[in-house]
Amino acid sequence: MQGEQQAQAPVLAPPAEWALPERPSIPSNIWKFIRRKPLGAFGVLLVLLMLAMTLGMPKAEFGAPQLPSRPLGFELGQPWMARFRAEEIFRRDETGRVVQAVSGPIAQWEKPSADHWLGTDKGGRDTYSRMVFAARRSLFIGLWALAFAVVVGTTVGVISAYFRGWLDTLVQRVMDTFQAFPALLILILLISLFNPNLTILALGLGFVGVTSVQRIVRGVVFSTREQPYIEAAKVIGATDTRTMVFHILPNIMAPIIVVFSIGLGAVILAEAAISFIAPQRVPQDPSWGIMLNVTSEFLPPDAKGYHTLAAGGAIVFSVLGFNLAGDALRDVLDPRLRVG
Amino acid sequence: MQQYILRRVLLNLLVIFMVATLVFLVLRIDTDFVVTQQAAQTQITDPGATERARDIVRADLGLDGSIFEQYRTYLWNLAQLDLGESFAAREDVTDEIGDRIGPSLELGLLQIMVALLVAVPIGIISAIRQDTVIDYVLRFFSIALLGIPVFVLGVLVLLLVARDPIGYTPPLTTYRDLLPFPPFETGRGVDVWVNFQIMFMPALIGGLGTGAIIMRFLRSQMLEVMRQDYVRTAWSKGLQERVIILRHALKNALIPVLTVVGLLLGTIVSANVILETIFNIPGIGLWVVNAIGQSDYPVIQGVVLVVAVILVFVNLLVDITYAWLDPRIRFG
Repeated sequence: MQGEQQAQAPVLAPPAEWALPERPSIPSNIWKFIRRKPLGAFGVLLVLLMLAMTLGMPKAEFGAPQLPSRPLGFELGQPWMARFRAEEIFRRDETGRVVQAVSGPIAQWEKPSADHWLGTDKGGRDTYSRMVFAARRSLFIGLWALAFAVVVGTTVGVISAYFRGWLDTLVQRVMDTFQAFPALLILILLISLFNPNLTILALGLGFVGVTSVQRIVRGVVFSTREQPYIEAAKVIGATDTRTMVFHILPNIMAPIIVVFSIGLGAVILAEAAISFIAPQRVPQDPSWGIMLNVTSEFLPPDAKGYHTLAAGGAIVFSVLGFNLAGDALRDVLDPRLRVG
Repeated sequence: MQQYILRRVLLNLLVIFMVATLVFLVLRIDTDFVVTQQAAQTQITDPGATERARDIVRADLGLDGSIFEQYRTYLWNLAQLDLGESFAAREDVTDEIGDRIGPSLELGLLQIMVALLVAVPIGIISAIRQDTVIDYVLRFFSIALLGIPVFVLGVLVLLLVARDPIGYTPPLTTYRDLLPFPPFETGRGVDVWVNFQIMFMPALIGGLGTGAIIMRFLRSQMLEVMRQDYVRTAWSKGLQERVIILRHALKNALIPVLTVVGLLLGTIVSANVILETIFNIPGIGLWVVNAIGQSDYPVIQGVVLVVAVILVFVNLLVDITYAWLDPRIRFG
């Protein structure tokens, strides 16, 4: 009865003050983020800068992915931000000017100039361009490592927390074991035993991260699986796989994104550290860690010092960028994750 | 409690066994590469000697015989604490680690001391003056310290100190000059002043980095505890601020922090590889880095195993202390 009466009532437009506020536009959201998290916005800026350093014209040559310049199966050309090719050698002509030439003395350890913004290195190569090239190595190692760690860690964490019981116990004991490995030393052991390429190195770094990713994911799933909508999914007959993939996974994306961004900083740092302490043993593409090792005994008034500053600055700002951005993302996306 | 400790010790032995097995397997991924590299270090030049050098290396590394035999010999040697001889200097790896671990442990402990001395007061101030200028400044410094890797900071500090206005470089030394830890027989006394000069900078740099992590953690713990009912009760009783913060809040906030300190303590020996290299601390870290350059496999293997053992047992110690401090913790 009541339903009929309501259906007959004329449809009235809701009063204006009932209207839902308009969804904030993307620019205003960004502005809000910048105002509320200035440090986080600074971090995002640094991350974007690093991303820009890796960009270059893609070439239509396909093949197996290979780091650093074929990260997704197609070859990336020279980075747009670089001024010269990474291996281009500069020499001095008769008048002492630094030029590109086939013969003549190599212009090593030049001071910064209009042509070479950060000078040249021992082989007469442009320091600024090599610094830009090296961003590719750091960023793609980070992305590959984190992709591996997150995919494996999430799978393990979700399954372990979803089924609980003896499976959970078993998996957690195995993970405890992995965590007891001294990570940096195991990586040193690896590179001392065979000269790995960058892809292997990235996967090794990712493997080290699996334990912490799965621990965080497991914790989140433990609370998610008690939610009413999971129960509802089970009642309508969803299989375990379906529940995990379509109901749990979308709801734990926020912590996963946060872990991804904070982890990137850590992996970039670890790669630089390894390249710094064992420069002969890692692949010889332009690398911030190797660059820092070469001139680590000099500071600016010396021409070699600019090389040190370029490499050190690049490492500091990229790691700082990912840490700040990750911190802010955590506050915005998932305040519960505040660990330290 | 005893049962728990016993179970954990057994579990730790299992973990160490797995680390040892992993190290065993890693060496056998690409045997030819390893053997060739090691043989190149022996510098035998007469013709036909390459093959002989390789055979010697194979025997030295325990790479002859079937894989099961190799594994048995490997474990048997480990059980006797025999880690083989280093290739470069032909020293017994076990003895050498015993000698060199002193400086490494000293550096690690000094770092934790610096970290706690800096982090605890700063963490408290930052928490009780939340969202004031002083809080922002302190937090910015801690984030900045987290972002600057020790190898960049270390290099910069070493260079800046060595320059003109100060012009100071720490003295060179060998581990035999600084033996703050037993069980060493040197016949020479420890030169405390030299020891201090060598340890000062790396301890400060590493300690500040570690301290930044501890400070951030302590701050969030303090904020949480300060909101608890019993702290409000303490305020309403009219207790002094100092008493409330130090006696009531800090004690409870410190317990979770202890776990973090413990975890950091465990990683500190392996993390110091870099600082030891930069500051020339003659500990196991510097040794292992030199060993990489010389492809000195037995040294690397030995250090990895020893550090894993330290890590595992420090973690156990932390868990036990944690349970002892906070009776609410149950042994699962």
